[in-house]
Amino acid sequence: MIELKNVKMDFDDFSALNGVDLTIPEGTAFGLLGSNGAGKSTILRLLSGVYKQTAGEVLIDSEPVYDNVSVKNRVFFINDETVQFGNMTLNDMRKYYKGFYPKFSDETFDKLNGVIKLPEKKRLDKFSKGMKRQAIVITGLASGTDYLLLDEAFDGLDPTMRIIVKRMLVDAMLDRKLTAIISSHNLKEINEVCDTAALLHQGKLLFNRDLDSVKGSIQKVQAAFEGEVTEKDFEGLNVLHFERNQSIVYIIIKGEEETIRAELEKKNPKVLDMIPLTLEEVFIYEMEGMGYDYNGIR
Amino acid sequence: MYTIDLQSRTPIYEQLYKKVVELILKGELRSGDKLPSVRELAKSLGVNPNTVSKAFQLLERDKVIYSLAGRGSFVSDVTADSVKEKALADFDKAASEALKAGFARSELIERLGGGISGESNE
Repeated sequence: MIELKNVKMDFDDFSALNGVDLTIPEGTAFGLLGSNGAGKSTILRLLSGVYKQTAGEVLIDSEPVYDNVSVKNRVFFINDETVQFGNMTLNDMRKYYKGFYPKFSDETFDKLNGVIKLPEKKRLDKFSKGMKRQAIVITGLASGTDYLLLDEAFDGLDPTMRIIVKRMLVDAMLDRKLTAIISSHNLKEINEVCDTAALLHQGKLLFNRDLDSVKGSIQKVQAAFEGEVTEKDFEGLNVLHFERNQSIVYIIIKGEEETIRAELEKKNPKVLDMIPLTLEEVFIYEMEGMGYDYNGIR
Repeated sequence: MYTIDLQSRTPIYEQLYKKVVELILKGELRSGDKLPSVRELAKSLGVNPNTVSKAFQLLERDKVIYSLAGRGSFVSDVTADSVKEKALADFDKAASEALKAGFARSELIERLGGGISGESNE
């Protein structure tokens, strides 16, 4: 289990995390969402022991992560910067990681590279960007850790590699209760792979919920009422957006479908249609609510 | 056979639940048939195994399937009739709520005529 307790992370004059509380149970695939600079990578770096938090606690199975080898060798961090071994070959890199991760599986590594066929004796700095990414992903999957952190790792993979990674994650989650934390901008990917997700914005957590309930958390309502209605008529509800086109109103409301429907029925609507928002729409409206106005950038 | 729409607004576990029920109704799954394992389904659909488990747990709760430790999940002795009965009961409930909310019977009939998606076996 991963626990962040009131974690703050400051860099000189910039505060990357501003009091984050987060618990991730084992065996979950957890999605970290947020715009650039929201703090996603900072959380992953704290969990892999690259950074030490300014304040608060970062715990894996109740133990602090920073400077703690017995925790760190159960966590593998897949990101672009991991490939700093320019003068090493793929085999050298495998040996290096094998020395650090006691459960490293040569069998898994060979099986994966049997499919991908990366050259084992070529220097890594001669690899293309995509090949470097593949090299670190298969090393991570073979490392046999209980925790796997993927920092936008899905985003640079080709479709075949994505399927391989997804299938490996399924096996690892079922066989050894792997906890995977995946940061991504790609909501479609998060929706497929993850069961729980958190949305970060400017170093704070906006929400942390299971994805099915995130999807049903905001409703798009299309309705028509007797007589004229204004936004004021819906003050009792958590209205995020209100728009009227003659007699039809379009309202985006935060809350459960049933509660909102019951409330709106009281106003005797002539027409009432409700559809839950997609994950992508929820994301946009939540961000808009935090003043992240994408409409301002056109 | 077990297809789902990853772009849909309907949660993946709910789609899977409905898919299994649909396959039983269509006679493609029969009483005692073995379902694919959570692992197989998660891999072939490219989704999270916890999501597949959730669908299986709900199917088991509603006695549509049962599981035998170490052997897998199987279709219960549900007849197509009992599933149809449940669908009708759900429909009655929704219709009665709509009537209470002020819809006329004719409006509901009209809706059935055009606005509702779904395939009939006939």
